[in-house]
Amino acid sequence: MTEQPEAAKSAELPQEIPLGPYGQFLKDLGIGSTRLPDSVGTAGKVETIEIDGMDLHQAMKSVRGSETRMDFLLMVSGVETNDTWDSVYHLWSYEDSTKELVVKVRVPKASVAEGKLPAVPSITPFWPAANWHEREEYDLLGIKYFGHPYLRRLMNPWDWEGHPLRKDYKQPVDALNDKNPHSMR
Amino acid sequence: MADIDTKIEIPEELKSTVSLSNLDFLVEKLTKVVDNLVDPVANWARSNSVWPLTFGTSCCAIEMMSVGMSAFDISRFGSEVFRATPRQADMIITAGTITRKMAPALITLYEQLPEPKYVIAMGACTITGGMFNDSYSVVQGVDRIIPVDVYLPGCPPRPEGILDALLKLQQKIRTESYGERRQRKYAQTAVRHVDYDTGLPVETLQALVEEAREEMPPAASNEQKSA
Repeated sequence: MTEQPEAAKSAELPQEIPLGPYGQFLKDLGIGSTRLPDSVGTAGKVETIEIDGMDLHQAMKSVRGSETRMDFLLMVSGVETNDTWDSVYHLWSYEDSTKELVVKVRVPKASVAEGKLPAVPSITPFWPAANWHEREEYDLLGIKYFGHPYLRRLMNPWDWEGHPLRKDYKQPVDALNDKNPHSMR
Repeated sequence: MADIDTKIEIPEELKSTVSLSNLDFLVEKLTKVVDNLVDPVANWARSNSVWPLTFGTSCCAIEMMSVGMSAFDISRFGSEVFRATPRQADMIITAGTITRKMAPALITLYEQLPEPKYVIAMGACTITGGMFNDSYSVVQGVDRIIPVDVYLPGCPPRPEGILDALLKLQQKIRTESYGERRQRKYAQTAVRHVDYDTGLPVETLQALVEEAREEMPPAASNEQKSA
């Protein structure tokens, strides 16, 4: 859920970063990707790639396959930046714990119509570990994972209005919560 | 008996839901007479057997568990065991942050406690919301949803603090009158009987289940039973 500092770094770094091993692997399969500045993982630098939402299913299935074996989905997280909604997938390999990969799907805010939620394809149908993570993102950040079998709020009550971790979220003042009407939230 | 005031006070907003029979007035009269004799004995007995409910939602619950163990031993003061069902308990120690999602469950638990029932609001979170006061999901004080008898500040309070709160609660129980408590009984609020999964009222849901059961062909239901 934390915002990562790549956005600030990318301004200083050169724009074109050559593809890493996973980016090359996906390119060989005909899936386009952009390499972003590396994230920092437990085993040093981690390759971070951005792919188009429509390629997500194919790409995730490919890197999970026998060749690369990124077979453990550490987490699915969501990030709201100033102009995009990001859905971030952290992958790890059971075979070699030094292998890590971060896949990002970015939905520009400009492409999301007023009153609609940003949409990203769900990977739950073939990767059940993502089920609750995606529900959490939907609950707190309002990213809609289409194709999810049961996209319901996970943490907040069913009758919650809005998505509380969004930048523009305002907590309504009511009987349970009225002590700080001028708070920063 | 004629000079005894038999007026039973009911809050204005609940008058339509409460109907009083002659029996109620008779019991009220008897209570008034017997109260003075019975109250000291009953309160003494009651104050020395305040059984708490096992209810812990975060770190305060660790201290609450500690006070039940042999080092501090809350059963020395008559709070013999932590009961796992509200039907067998007299008191809730609200140990930990109450979120908006937990609030309906806590209200239900409180309503399920048999009278007389008591609440100790333990820790900063249940008194004011604590350090989560500014959060979107936290109830800013448990006294917004259920009545509280003793406030026990601390983050979390030491086990000795819980014992002190219990002794204060016992003092309170010894000085109260059953008749007064009975009158306050009507001031209870209603529970939200809502199914958390669907958001439908439980009554509606039960009606739907009944409907579906009637529509089910009898042969299929027999097969299911035998399977």
